[in-house]
Amino acid sequence: MEKKLDSISARVDTSSSSSDSVEDELELSAVRHRPEALELLEAQTRFSRKELQILYRGFKSECPSGVVNEDTFKEIYSQFFPQGDASSYAHFLFDAFDTDQNGSVSFEDFVMGLSILLRGTIHEKLNWAFNLYDINKDGYITKEEMLDIIKSIYDMMGKCTYPMLREETPRQHVEIFFQKMDKNRDGVVTIDEFIDCCQNDENIMKSMQLFENVI
Amino acid sequence: MAAGVAAWLPFARAAAIGWMPVASAPMPPPPREMRRGQDGLIMLNVSGTRFQTWRNTLERYPDTLLGSTERDFFFHEETNEYFFDRDPDIFRHILNFYRTGKLHYPRHECISAYDEELAFFGIIPEIIGDCCYEEYKDRRRENTERIQDDEENENNNDLVLPELSFRESMWRAFENPHTSTMALVFYYVTGFFIAVSVMANVVETVPCSSGPNRAKEVSCGERYALAFFCLDTACVMIFTVEYLLRLIAAPSRYKFVKSVMSIIDVVAIMPYYIGLVMTDNEDVSGAFVTLRVFRVFRIFKFSRHSAGLRILGYTLKSCASELGFLLFSLTMAIIIFATVMFYAEKGSSATKFTSIPAAFWYTIVTMTTLGYGDMVPKTIMGKIFGSVCSLSGVLVIALPVPVIVSNFSRIYHQSQRAEKRRAQKASKEAGQSLVCKINPTFETQHHHLLHCLEKTTRNHYSDSGMKTENDNHCCPLTVTCSGFPRAIDSRQFQSCWVPDCLRNSQSYSQSGFKDSTVDTLHTHTHYIINFIVLI
Repeated sequence: MEKKLDSISARVDTSSSSSDSVEDELELSAVRHRPEALELLEAQTRFSRKELQILYRGFKSECPSGVVNEDTFKEIYSQFFPQGDASSYAHFLFDAFDTDQNGSVSFEDFVMGLSILLRGTIHEKLNWAFNLYDINKDGYITKEEMLDIIKSIYDMMGKCTYPMLREETPRQHVEIFFQKMDKNRDGVVTIDEFIDCCQNDENIMKSMQLFENVI
Repeated sequence: MAAGVAAWLPFARAAAIGWMPVASAPMPPPPREMRRGQDGLIMLNVSGTRFQTWRNTLERYPDTLLGSTERDFFFHEETNEYFFDRDPDIFRHILNFYRTGKLHYPRHECISAYDEELAFFGIIPEIIGDCCYEEYKDRRRENTERIQDDEENENNNDLVLPELSFRESMWRAFENPHTSTMALVFYYVTGFFIAVSVMANVVETVPCSSGPNRAKEVSCGERYALAFFCLDTACVMIFTVEYLLRLIAAPSRYKFVKSVMSIIDVVAIMPYYIGLVMTDNEDVSGAFVTLRVFRVFRIFKFSRHSAGLRILGYTLKSCASELGFLLFSLTMAIIIFATVMFYAEKGSSATKFTSIPAAFWYTIVTMTTLGYGDMVPKTIMGKIFGSVCSLSGVLVIALPVPVIVSNFSRIYHQSQRAEKRRAQKASKEAGQSLVCKINPTFETQHHHLLHCLEKTTRNHYSDSGMKTENDNHCCPLTVTCSGFPRAIDSRQFQSCWVPDCLRNSQSYSQSGFKDSTVDTLHTHTHYIINFIVLI
């Protein structure tokens, strides 16, 4: 009898709170977005017509309103990394995809980003990666920015790793990175230093080609 | 992971390029791409209704029928589509599952039809979405309960055991009075005597007019003491005999003695014997009078005769928690209000509220809205609290009552269903025999098969010993290893199949074995062959 009472009261609570979220959803659905024509996208990206169709279908089934806001983006991305916390890295990714910085990723942004990542030249890919690391988009990667990025990557691994994640591991990683990349030892990494250094590193070159045929 | 999110995996993999410059170790090689079928449209034709979807949509769930190579078995080349001879309405929900990743259960569909479709398409029902899961589970539970009830009833009613020992047949007669005339007679006789006994108890206390020279009235019991005593003796004798017979016939005596009905029986007859044993001692006569009260328990013996009474008892037992809650809350309220009323009325003179326990009576009478009026508050505060008491009484009592009522209704309908099922069974079987004709092609081929077996083993089937009670059974090859005679539908054989050996012989007996030993060997071989054929 008590259980029944509890469930009834819980239902009453959720219904009152869900009315708020219903209003939120109504607002969001007013923000509908229709992507540009298929031909335009075909011209702007390096995907074929069929590939664009497949991409759009997947995009639209997850985001029927046509745009992804940051929360949805984080949710989707977190589903691929269940053990850890992917929200901080997803935030950086979102910023990297949201090229016009309007707080939402439309299909065009999505597909442009993917086009660079999957079909772009090495130079373009490295450019994109630099853009990802440069959080405030000022053209320089500082140690703090890099530390944030590396910490977010380690966060995705979660707590149960082997060997155990120690406090100074991200910092050490940043030091190694800067030692490799910062040629003139001025404490920041510029785009040219970055691209130069990566092009000279065999491992990085090889790994950049890894996801060529994902679509 | 939902199916839709799987579509974003390419994106997540592409975004991994962001890790590459930071990586401290070389990356593992990528997995080899599986066979990439072209992503085309697939046409699914389900009993004429055409569904189309992308190949990728179906392949999201590779361990179902539609997602695996199993669907190739249903490919129809002439029309270049996959044809399924199933229900299109339910298929719609199954296809939606592939599209959205959520399986829904439509309320208007029959639960067993739905389950069958799910089983056919290889989808486990546990993935039904939260929105529909509760409904699905409830319906499924109801259905299994119903089937179990049916089976139990069938076993109870149709069980035709070859021979029952006398004891077992007596027990059956007691438990199911409609099985034989004797049982029915016994049933009505005991019912009559219960009624007589109860009436006697009641009439005993009525004051009979005494003679004009008597000062006080006497009750009929005292006036006609002998007559009532004889009546009582007769009833108790009948009840005792009944109890002893039940005790003898019970399959498990210990269980029988523990059961509620037998306790009621014992309580009904004990007072009489105790009264016989005890003498007319002044000390124990008080106790003796009390014992006579127990005679009224004979009325509970009617519960063997009335299903409604049994249901009521069963309901009260199953609503024990609600009743307990009612009692508890009432007690709390009674104590609170009695205390309040006592202190409110303390001031008034010559008040009936002499103590809190005395106020209990007032509170109970007021809360149940009886209001005898033997105790009424006189002060203003008393009257105010009194009215609050009566209002709250109505509420507290009204709360658990619907729960008890709904329980009673459910149990009552369940028992009615058993009765209805029995009544419907006869017409159902009549209908089935019309619909369920034997497939003639099947029959001829089946006979040919058995004939071949006969020729192979150079033995023949005998007709005797293949008689079954289930003459209306329409599925020819029900393999039930429970009782050998049921194994083959004898109706088929009797109607069309006259075995060679019997065709030859003149003595074509419909029942019983043939006499000679050779023939017995014959028939035994037939039994063995029948058994082997069907295993």
